Amino acid sequence: MNRKRMASWALVGTLVLSAVLSACTDNKNSSNTSSPSPSSSSTSSPAPSSSASAPAMADGPLGKYDPPITVTTVRMFNSGLEFVKGQDWDNNVYTNGLKDELGIIVKNQWIVDDQQYTNKLNVSMVSGDLPDVFEVTLQQLQLLVEAGALADLTDAYNKYSSDLTKKSFGEGDGIALKAVTFNGKLMAIPNGGTTGREDSQFIWIRKDWLKKLNLQPPATMDDVVNIAKAFATGDPDGNNKKDTFGLNLDYNLFNGWAGLDGFFNGYHAYPYNPGGPTATGLNLMFLNKGGQLDYADIQPEVKTALGKLQELYKAGAINPEFSVMSGEKSAELATAGKVGMTFGQFWNAGWPLNEMKSKDPKVDWGVFPLVSADDQPVLKTSNSITPTRFWVVSKNAKNPEAAIKFLNFYLEKNYGETRDENYHSVKQDGKDIATFGLSPVLGGFSETNQNDFYAVQDAFKSNDPSKLNPTAKGYYDGIVNYRKGDLKAWPNELMFGTEDGSAYGILGTYKKNNEFMTNAYLGAPTATMAKNGPALKDLEVKEFTKIIMGEQPLDTFDTFVDNWKKQGGQQILNEVNEWLKQHQ
Amino acid sequence: MAHKRWAREMPLHLLVWTGLAFVLVFCYGPMVGIVIAFQRFLPTNGLFNSRWIGFDNFRQIAEMPDTTRVIFNTVYIAVMKMVAGLIAPITMALLLNEIAQKAFKRTVQTIIYLPHFLSWVILSGVLIDILSPNFGIVNDLLGSLGMPHVYFLGDEKWFPFVLVGTDVWKEFGFSTIVFLAALTGINPALYEAAVIDGASRWKQTLYITLPGIVPIMVLMATLSLGNVLNAGFDQVFNLYNPSVYSTGDILDTYVYRMGLQNFQFGVATAVGLFKSAVSFVLISVSYVLAYRFANYRIF
Repeated sequence: MNRKRMASWALVGTLVLSAVLSACTDNKNSSNTSSPSPSSSSTSSPAPSSSASAPAMADGPLGKYDPPITVTTVRMFNSGLEFVKGQDWDNNVYTNGLKDELGIIVKNQWIVDDQQYTNKLNVSMVSGDLPDVFEVTLQQLQLLVEAGALADLTDAYNKYSSDLTKKSFGEGDGIALKAVTFNGKLMAIPNGGTTGREDSQFIWIRKDWLKKLNLQPPATMDDVVNIAKAFATGDPDGNNKKDTFGLNLDYNLFNGWAGLDGFFNGYHAYPYNPGGPTATGLNLMFLNKGGQLDYADIQPEVKTALGKLQELYKAGAINPEFSVMSGEKSAELATAGKVGMTFGQFWNAGWPLNEMKSKDPKVDWGVFPLVSADDQPVLKTSNSITPTRFWVVSKNAKNPEAAIKFLNFYLEKNYGETRDENYHSVKQDGKDIATFGLSPVLGGFSETNQNDFYAVQDAFKSNDPSKLNPTAKGYYDGIVNYRKGDLKAWPNELMFGTEDGSAYGILGTYKKNNEFMTNAYLGAPTATMAKNGPALKDLEVKEFTKIIMGEQPLDTFDTFVDNWKKQGGQQILNEVNEWLKQHQ
Repeated sequence: MAHKRWAREMPLHLLVWTGLAFVLVFCYGPMVGIVIAFQRFLPTNGLFNSRWIGFDNFRQIAEMPDTTRVIFNTVYIAVMKMVAGLIAPITMALLLNEIAQKAFKRTVQTIIYLPHFLSWVILSGVLIDILSPNFGIVNDLLGSLGMPHVYFLGDEKWFPFVLVGTDVWKEFGFSTIVFLAALTGINPALYEAAVIDGASRWKQTLYITLPGIVPIMVLMATLSLGNVLNAGFDQVFNLYNPSVYSTGDILDTYVYRMGLQNFQFGVATAVGLFKSAVSFVLISVSYVLAYRFANYRIF
């Protein structure tokens, strides 16, 4: 009897204990991952300006805090991230530089991959665990400003920004500055928003396939269509199987890789509304048609181009599986040597095509300018002038000016007098390891890459690389090495190598001729866009996909236009035209 | 006297209270979040400082163009999954039950149980490759049998059945184990009597085995009824694409695209509340039905 009771008590004891213990560990874990640094949240109540100037005083754009201050932030990385040996997120050229030179200890509250970042940050927002400095999307920025959760950076900017920082804020005709100003107050540091036009598209083509089938690079859109068909039917990989495609595509339809933006541009159409399951349907493109804004994706030119795509699909030039393929899958199709042409942006040479050359020297991707369907010049869709991401500072941050100082430091080390290539990239085992992304706040100037391109070209002409800045010297060396046979350096050649055979060479020509089409609507997503945008995106991607796949005749495009307007589109058009009236 | 009883039952009380506290904290506590369904929720404002908007979120859902179609898809896919998810494991359990060789039975049981542990993220990657019309092994097989290629994941007509088929394949091993356990509970004397009366294996299955596991079948069916609006977010989200939205889009994926992605937490919570209400009604109804017709009480 006694023993029995002992046993039951013991059982209860263990159960209760284990419950309590597991509850404890739960708590511990959650407070660890979101650890609100006590220094920043508990002592936040006094006016920030006074507490900033109290003990740790640091004047000037690059003045040092003594004693050092701690600033919290959160980080995201993409799958391609690599560190210099012995370094990591908490110990690298930026954390050390900021600590030694500015007296700022950067503390990463959490680090996640870029796919999860937005969600993780939402959780931090809900639980009130915001770090001092963090990166947000346009929508998050609006939410945070509406909720009054952000620090006003106007004073910090006026007092602490360096000349380089001031210059970078002035880039892009001041559009970026406008995007981060709310009621005359500076609420964020824009990420992007430059006139560099680096989002314009090119045609990437397998030159080895062209040669094999005795074809010339395209001069018109008809050539593009014919090359795509020939790549599908002419057995360019020589395996006697009909297993290749002419034009790469995936379910996004519009994208910097394997998107159709450039294809449509050739027909003077400028649609843009990516269709993947994670797309938001909020970044719509509008054209100014005689003083009225109209939606780019419902113009008659779009129909013409869709007709051509339908023709290509019927001829077997487009992978019939494109509608189930993500960007990663369409990249695999290219790296597996199954597709010979794709529209995309300059970085396609860096991903996903970068290693194809070194794995198989016969593979020869080339980059070509967009071509026109008629004698009119092609205008390229380019909206990089409006920033899409931002750095903001929590209103609880003790030292809001630290964000400005981060930017000062970044620009100084990459563009200033104490410029140091270690803050941009480091060579290790023959590979360039990028380090610039480790800075808590980044900035830049529109024409940096373009100017580096011209500097590299000048160096080749004069045979004198001594005047190059360290970054451009890196590209120069890469190109020289590639031409000597180091195939791993191939991306340098395709991005900076020659006037007519590299992305920046072609981009330079685009810019000289000023052939761009920019979104005529520069405001934030309107109320109806937020409400109906996702459903309208579904409608559009379904209709476009079905038309391309020939499941619907081309003329259903006209029904789509009516439906788009009926299901909220007309309301959106009214709203953006209202915006236009106010901003003329 | 009463004191003695108290002392004796004390440990049991403690056991119940701990469990109860857990349920209160982790199941009932978060229900406070339901208020979000009636707010224009701003994450930074917290639960009670956002603007109250009554039933606007529900109205917005009702006004979304595809809501009816999406609810139909959800119920259609979920019901098919429930039916197939009952028939497949019962058949499998009956078949395994007839196998005398223990080692073989255990091996099969383990193998069909394994996919249960794989996540849909991994499985979708595998499925997209093997179901591909150009390079996939399934279509290669169909082709070598002279049948036309089927575009399993891109064809509106096929997609719901792919969902049901893959879901049953992934989960039926788990339910099989439940039914096998029920089978061992049948009194062997019944079989002996049947053999003496001259019943064949098939008649034994029909008149002893099946009636013997009816209570478990009713239990499993009742429990799954609560899921009639859960057609499986993980699975659909990882397998679907814009060209099969018309037949493959379910309530959860739809709300994810329409609301959650654009920070419309209120809309998402409203849908969750709606789903819970429907599940509650269905479970109550099925409880009554199970009691009436199978004379089986779950609670």
